[in-house]
Amino acid sequence: MTPSTTRVADATAASAAGGDERLAYRGVFARILVRPEIGAAIAAVSIWIFFWAVSVPFGLTSGAASILDVSATLGIMAVAVSMLMIGGEFDLSAGAATGAFGIITLLLVRDVTGEMGGAGLSLWFALPLSFLLAMGLGLFNGTLVNKTSLPSFIVTLASFFILVGSKLGFAKLLVDQIQVGKMNDLAIFSEDRASDKGYAFFNRIFAAEWERNLHQWDSRDAFYTFGVVAGLTLLVIALYELRFRRKETQNMLGLGVCLAGIVLGLVGIFNLHNTRGTQGDVVGAGFIGFGILVGFIGLAMWRYESLNDRGGLTLTADASRPLILGLVALAASFIAARYFDSQNSEDIFFMVTEQGLRAILFVGLGATAAVFLLISSSRAGYTSQTARSAVLMLTALLVAATAFFIRAESVTPKFRTQVLAVMLVLAALMATWAVTTLLFAERRSPDDKAERLGRTLVIVGSSLAVMGVVARMLFVVQAEIDAGAPPSKFSVRILWFLGFTAACAWVLARTKFGSWTFAVGGNKQASRQIGVPAERTKTQLFMLVAGAAWLVGTLLAFRLNTIQASTGDGLEFEFIIAAVVGGTMLTGGYGSAIGAAIGAIIMAMAKQGIPSSRWNSDWRFVFLGVILLLAVIANDFIRSKAEAAR
Amino acid sequence: MTDKPVLELNNIGKFYGNIIALKGVTTEVLAGKVTCVLGDNGAGKSTFIKILAGVHQHDEGEFLLEGEEVRFNSPREALNKGIAAVYQDLAMVPLMSVWRNFFLGSEPTKGVWPIEWIDKPKAKAIAKAEMAKMGIDIRDTEQPVGTLSGGERQSVAIARAVYFGAKVLILDEPTSALGVRQSGVVLRYIVEAAKRGLGVIFITHNPAHAYPVGDRFLILNRGESMGNFAKSEITQSELTQLMAGGAELEQLQHELEAAMARD
Repeated sequence: MTPSTTRVADATAASAAGGDERLAYRGVFARILVRPEIGAAIAAVSIWIFFWAVSVPFGLTSGAASILDVSATLGIMAVAVSMLMIGGEFDLSAGAATGAFGIITLLLVRDVTGEMGGAGLSLWFALPLSFLLAMGLGLFNGTLVNKTSLPSFIVTLASFFILVGSKLGFAKLLVDQIQVGKMNDLAIFSEDRASDKGYAFFNRIFAAEWERNLHQWDSRDAFYTFGVVAGLTLLVIALYELRFRRKETQNMLGLGVCLAGIVLGLVGIFNLHNTRGTQGDVVGAGFIGFGILVGFIGLAMWRYESLNDRGGLTLTADASRPLILGLVALAASFIAARYFDSQNSEDIFFMVTEQGLRAILFVGLGATAAVFLLISSSRAGYTSQTARSAVLMLTALLVAATAFFIRAESVTPKFRTQVLAVMLVLAALMATWAVTTLLFAERRSPDDKAERLGRTLVIVGSSLAVMGVVARMLFVVQAEIDAGAPPSKFSVRILWFLGFTAACAWVLARTKFGSWTFAVGGNKQASRQIGVPAERTKTQLFMLVAGAAWLVGTLLAFRLNTIQASTGDGLEFEFIIAAVVGGTMLTGGYGSAIGAAIGAIIMAMAKQGIPSSRWNSDWRFVFLGVILLLAVIANDFIRSKAEAAR
Repeated sequence: MTDKPVLELNNIGKFYGNIIALKGVTTEVLAGKVTCVLGDNGAGKSTFIKILAGVHQHDEGEFLLEGEEVRFNSPREALNKGIAAVYQDLAMVPLMSVWRNFFLGSEPTKGVWPIEWIDKPKAKAIAKAEMAKMGIDIRDTEQPVGTLSGGERQSVAIARAVYFGAKVLILDEPTSALGVRQSGVVLRYIVEAAKRGLGVIFITHNPAHAYPVGDRFLILNRGESMGNFAKSEITQSELTQLMAGGAELEQLQHELEAAMARD
């Protein structure tokens, strides 16, 4: 190893630098885990992988478009509801309200003449008017909850029934039907009136679509590869920067090694891009794997202090127990994969086919094994860094072995190539992490410079990766057109969803109103005592939910043209589930808008994934129940761990 | 400091229906001095503090702030006039970070309405500096208040009140839930706050905590004032006797002396 210029005693001494010795420094992983949305993010990735493995549409652009479309309307409401829940209240009328405001808008624009029944207003008046009514509903709910001090559960349950009843009653009274339509009549009959009453304009705002097949960009894949590879690399570098202690003088040899690693990686990527066939894949993957190993070790040599006290290779009983369990689970998953027939698509048990059972057992046991191995490595780290790295290295090797096992056992190309590639990269990253954490010292005190750089790298890296993926989804290349690319349409609803989530996340994190929302939910009495306008904040939160319901109602009216009287009824619990899955606490005072958005995406994936895996969609609710339970338990567990780690 | 009282109360009374919660309470609070309000449970201490802080309004008597008669309709109003209360339950949100709690309700902002955001670096820096002035080093102002110790939480609340320009600081039983050492720490903050020119009202049922820091003592019993003394006019044991309201005096005194000897 390179001789370090300054040999400072290891991390334990760092606290002597000053400050409260009882306040342990939180490492990068502890800080990631303390975020409320982390459980939902992990769940979303796992569920996506699960459905990607068992069904066709997942992983296709059309599948992504429809999942995002379903999550858009659900997500806007979930985000608003999660803010209300952070503020300590519920709104059971939120679901029914979405349909109600769609119906109100439609009733306002329907023609009065003839037998249509409706006010015949222009959209320019109808939309603001129904928005005002939405604000009125929020004001009503909020004022009632504040004035009566009754639980919002009861008050908004009453509003729910009032809305459900009025929707049916007014629809039948005015239109004589249990559905109200049609939005696009405005366009269809516009010639008679010499005006479409703003339909074309608002249709573009609320229902515009991006047709993928109309947008060709032939260097898309180069951009995609660059974005994802560079983005992920920056994210891993950020992890290194946040984890390791900086050296006083940099080692330029390390920089050289790092650059050599980058070159190796690029050669590998180039090789993968220009060869087809198994042999080329292996060579390319090998180059990439070595590139990762060499590059990151070089990075660490260049910038970070080396670790002196590594401890011996001894495993405590605490660490060896999960290690053994993990190995047993992995062996069991291999045996299950060998034992069951991958070709048998007949039901052997309940509704599960033999191949399905095989997949479930293999993935389930494999994931269990991974969790146990990671627990083992973390526990081994309490006593010795060497032991931790050894277990991690073993895990990396087992991941690589599993990757080749999957390739040998499966026939579908996505398992043979894509899974192999991802798992090998993962194994290489883990192995590199095992080596670097053994050789280099963890930073155990705040370092503003490193943290700022780390944060910048995270932002740049994730933006690059997201841009790459978005480019891939939005554009077609010539080859896809030749192969007859299926039509995929992205609706502007997704932008509304993303924009609304971003706005709410910003408000929660950065504004007074956000602070007050957390405060009134966390301790209403206390926040009143020090001058937070608690009642006003709560009323505004109810109005936010009603406003979101108006937005969703409008989006639905433009998308469906006709709104049923029952539209939205019963969805309020889905909003609450999405918020809770996203890490929002039922008791208030804790939660996240981004988490709720991820929760909505999880639910949309369940809605789309269950039918497309050819399961009966009635089982969706069972899935939702299980997800809710797991999410709550996991969030609670993670939160208590994180609080304890502080 | 000036001799003119910041806050003056003359024969303040408060009724809840036909229940007399407080009657005939008179005292004054001087800038830079600590006025202790002592009383057993149910003596009317809570009602007293709530009138001062604007949570309730008095039904009779005079409430003078810097010589002017006042009547607060909300805690916010009292706060704006410079009367800050630190309650027993501390008025803190445990899951929120130290700096957010410090500035809760009065966040410094940047930008123009409607696009206004909290000036986070400034807020964090001020919170850290103000805590340091009280002698507490909060290394990470992002940590939730719930992870602080009781004494540290008190110090956040006191530092907050001092920073926001309070003229009168009301402390409701700040030491009641604390251990011996932590209580000592909080008593030091009380003296510190008074030194910085605030009129401090220290409400407690523990004469041993009140006597060392107090300059003036108001004793309440069953809603009535048992007297209002300067430190020179009263000893600690007399204070204890008055607080007990004359009931079983001998025995109580012995018990308390024994208890204090153990302290």
